[in-house]
Amino acid sequence: MAAAVRAQSVSKWFPLRDGESLHVLQGVDIEVEERSVAAIVGASGCGKSTLLNIIAGLIPPDRGEVFLNGVPSKSFTEWRSLTYMFQDDRLLPWRTAAQNVAFGLEAAGAPRAERRERVAETLALVGLADFAEAYPHELSGGMRSRVALARSLVTRPSILLMDEPFSKLDPSIRSQMHDEVLRVAGLMGMTIVFVTHDVEEAVVLADTVVTLKPRPGRVQETHVINLPHPRDPLSAEVAERARLLRRSLQS
Amino acid sequence: MTAAPSSVPAVAGGAPKPAHKPARGPWLKIVAMRLGLLVLFLGLWQVASLGAPAFVLPGPARVWEAWSALVASPGFWRDLGLTFQRVLAGFALATVVGVAFGLLLGASETLGRFFEPLLTVINTVSSSIWAIFALIWFGLSDWTTIFVVFMTAMPLILTTVWQGSKTVNADYVELARAFRMSRAQILAKIYLPTILPLFFASARLAFGFGARVSLVAETLGASSGVGYRLRQAADLVQTDQVFAWTLTLVALMLALEFLVLKPLETRLFRWKKRAEID
Ligand SMILES: Nc1ncnc2c1ncn2[C@@H]1O[C@H](COP(=O)(O)OP(=O)(O)OP(=O)(O)O)[C@@H](O)[C@H]1O
Ligand SMILES: [Mg+2]
Repeated sequence: MAAAVRAQSVSKWFPLRDGESLHVLQGVDIEVEERSVAAIVGASGCGKSTLLNIIAGLIPPDRGEVFLNGVPSKSFTEWRSLTYMFQDDRLLPWRTAAQNVAFGLEAAGAPRAERRERVAETLALVGLADFAEAYPHELSGGMRSRVALARSLVTRPSILLMDEPFSKLDPSIRSQMHDEVLRVAGLMGMTIVFVTHDVEEAVVLADTVVTLKPRPGRVQETHVINLPHPRDPLSAEVAERARLLRRSLQS
Repeated sequence: MTAAPSSVPAVAGGAPKPAHKPARGPWLKIVAMRLGLLVLFLGLWQVASLGAPAFVLPGPARVWEAWSALVASPGFWRDLGLTFQRVLAGFALATVVGVAFGLLLGASETLGRFFEPLLTVINTVSSSIWAIFALIWFGLSDWTTIFVVFMTAMPLILTTVWQGSKTVNADYVELARAFRMSRAQILAKIYLPTILPLFFASARLAFGFGARVSLVAETLGASSGVGYRLRQAADLVQTDQVFAWTLTLVALMLALEFLVLKPLETRLFRWKKRAEID
């Protein structure tokens, strides 16, 4: 099967104020198969968000290359089929939930009627049909994350990048969101790359988990999680895999 | 816990919780206070006018008469309309130029630094000086007033838009870039909504300043309009006419504020979370 996302020896330095530079990523190789879910775990500050930003084409790598659906990202044009959920929800405060979701479609300039239909559909998908007209400050943290998820899904992407999307939710809502995401991903045939601090979350969701070592960030190990879905976060198998991951991160 | 049983007394601890809906009492009190202020003002005016000749300070009754006659006179709406058109034209030009250049200077640091002194200079020149220049350049024409309104309002709007575009949240711009929005889309969907509250405040200020200096411009460089009529009245020592025009302008500005600007502001900025300190 073809890789939907492939990072090839990606390195990145950030210039610092004093003329020095910070080495953030060192020769990162990652390969994510089409229609699979990959998790990236690692300590805070090891360059996970930077890696996603590079995959999303928001910042260029200093060395190496990213391939999306087999195409080098420099000549990739199907950006509409890739969406990015940031670490914070980034809802625009002057837009209602429905208008925030519609933001995902506006770049493409879809006709108004179609836009409205898709927005309503996607809001219903994340269980927020009744809150379409609410402004972000009127929503709870969990609801805001779901609006942000809806905004990422409304374009029906084939690749979804997520940066710690559920870290601010309480555990019961989080596992609800996990089910949602897996269901939608299966439905739409999406490839997902997501970053997390939470090894249990990685084991429950992902087909492959990549662990990063810090300073500079580089790939330590790639774990394949071949447990059947749905995975119970409290089951012994999940706990065992999480323990292995944790040990690999600490070494 | 979804619904409280109805047997629970609504008032606990003796004191009722302050209701969150607007209370009727204070509202009535405010109306009464405003009326009281108006009566006090009219009374003092009446008393003062008794001790002064009518050409210095005409009484309320006389001004009311002059105002009724003024409104009924055929030229009234024409003069008012002319002045309003000139203010509006100057203000519209100021908005277009101010917003366009404000965004441009905000988007480019080099341009911003280059033009900054020019703006300071424009801001320090008094409106009366612009009026004199306008008189020299445009003579007795609509453009004199339009120019003065423009030169007063434009720097205000430009400065606000410029400063406002520097406060745009970089995360929102990144979001728009992640969705592959064009530059024009980012300006329209991220910059404009960010700047709008600031723009609204400055436009309101600019319109007020513009409307006031338009009268100065018209007294110097027009042969029609409210400013021109005011000057005529002054020349003929028709103090009651001056009062009548003043009354008209105050009423107009109040109407604009409460019938147009306030409702518009409430509608535009519904999304804002109100900070409440009490
Ligand atoms: N634009 C930037 N300029 C300079 N340094 C940066 C920039 N962005 C990130 N960094 C630095 O790069 C390193 C990696 O940052 P990054 O945000 O990728 O970490 P992370 O793994 O996502 O951390 P967390 O789990 O806390 O979100 C950090 O040391 C950070 O300070
Ligand atoms: Mg991060």
